[in-house]
Amino acid sequence: MSTTTPPRPRRSRAERYRSALWLLTKRDLRVRYSTSALGYFWSILDPLVMAGIYWFVFVVVFKRDGTIGEDPYIVFLIAGLLPWMWFTGTISDSTRAFLREAKLVRSTSIPRTIWVARLVLSKGLEFLASIPVLIIFAVIFGAHANWSLVWTYPLAIILQATLVLGIGLIVAPLVVFFRDLERAVKLILRFMFYASPIVYSTLDMPKDIQSWAALNPLSGIFSLYRSGLYPEQLVAFPVIMSVIISVVVLGIGLLVFRRCERAVLKEI
Amino acid sequence: MTEPIISVTDLGIQFRRNKARRRSFKDLFAGRKRRARPNQFWAFRNLTFDVAPGEAIGVVGRNGQGKSTLLKLVAGVILPDEGRVRVGAGVAPLIEITGGFVSDLSVRDNVYLTAGLHGMSKAEVAARFDEIIDFAEIQDFVDTPYKHLSSGMKVRIAFSVIAQLDEPVILVDEVLAVGDKSFREKCYRRIDELLSAGRTLFFVSHNERDLRRFCSRGLYLDKGKLVLDGPIGEVLDRYNEDYNNPTS
Repeated sequence: MSTTTPPRPRRSRAERYRSALWLLTKRDLRVRYSTSALGYFWSILDPLVMAGIYWFVFVVVFKRDGTIGEDPYIVFLIAGLLPWMWFTGTISDSTRAFLREAKLVRSTSIPRTIWVARLVLSKGLEFLASIPVLIIFAVIFGAHANWSLVWTYPLAIILQATLVLGIGLIVAPLVVFFRDLERAVKLILRFMFYASPIVYSTLDMPKDIQSWAALNPLSGIFSLYRSGLYPEQLVAFPVIMSVIISVVVLGIGLLVFRRCERAVLKEI
Repeated sequence: MTEPIISVTDLGIQFRRNKARRRSFKDLFAGRKRRARPNQFWAFRNLTFDVAPGEAIGVVGRNGQGKSTLLKLVAGVILPDEGRVRVGAGVAPLIEITGGFVSDLSVRDNVYLTAGLHGMSKAEVAARFDEIIDFAEIQDFVDTPYKHLSSGMKVRIAFSVIAQLDEPVILVDEVLAVGDKSFREKCYRRIDELLSAGRTLFFVSHNERDLRRFCSRGLYLDKGKLVLDGPIGEVLDRYNEDYNNPTS
């Protein structure tokens, strides 16, 4: 017996990866927005409410008087909180990357890194969609943009995507074996929020801690995000460190993921 | 003999006996060889066989002898611990078929999603969309959220999507046991159609009639080994001889 129907043209691996990634990303966004009436507004409401709270606490209650962060402080906060939402959202979702999709993972043979990459991408797109909010606030409160943001902002986005993907690739498979990790990650994220320059800037720390703070890759990344509005936030050392650490974390992530993949598929 | 479409060499996979046992961090990072694996057992080992294009293979064996596992390995949804599976063409796996469907999305979105994940482009899905819906007989529910379908409809649409994938290799894992009688007949006809169009079939079932109907060659898995690889009749006779259960 010979084959009578010609097989469909085979697509290249990269093409298949891209299309599966895009499909799942679109699905994520569609599910999120089809099940809630406010849709897009939820993704900006959360950082805005947070920004409002921190503004109230630090400006009204603690009377920060321009000593911490930069003015206008509300814009400074939003510039840090929007990318933070991307970071924390992706990592906390990656704890359920396999467990929630177990049935789907078990029935398709797409490259398994897509299960994490799709989270980075869908949360990243939500982040990009929230940038207009930052622009509106920057205009209203009269923050001055400078041209350096043409390269600092995209660089920050690339670095953050690298870092988040790396962490996700470590967390997602390990949670399958250690369910406790899911709660640990939540706690670590809350710690990271205050350990990262979001409500303050790295420059507000005592000089001798600053170089330690640069070991947190988010220091460099957030300083890049903010440098377009606050040029003095751009400090070379944390940025260089964040590049190195992000790449290393991604490398470790790929390694851990490859190590665990076989066992994860049996477990779920 | 033509180039085999599926080529399995020294295939082996092991599972943990005790699911509840927690792994230690040390276990995870120790080298593969040094890793302590007290509770592991081999589902099967040293499986070697080739499948030529157009063959219809039935996998026979008692429960827990790794029939479904073998199918999943061929589908690439789990990975072997030793040996390798080489599949020279696209695969349409009828395994956990409803797994890819998202309850909040409409049937239409779900069809595009599942077919897409199995490698179809948007244009290809669009071209086959009506056919898929017709086959599943759910024309009136195209824009209904998947969760509102009856369980029979869910399986029908899922089968329909995979059956339209048009891949050269089809893997079937006892899904035909579901659905009402007329739909089951329809599925059988579809498989017949695909077989006569030269597709390769890999079939796991406990139903002897189905196995004899579709398959020409049988693989008999028992006690972690490939006991017999031959014409389906012989394989079934041997299986019945060993376990003396000609009807089930």
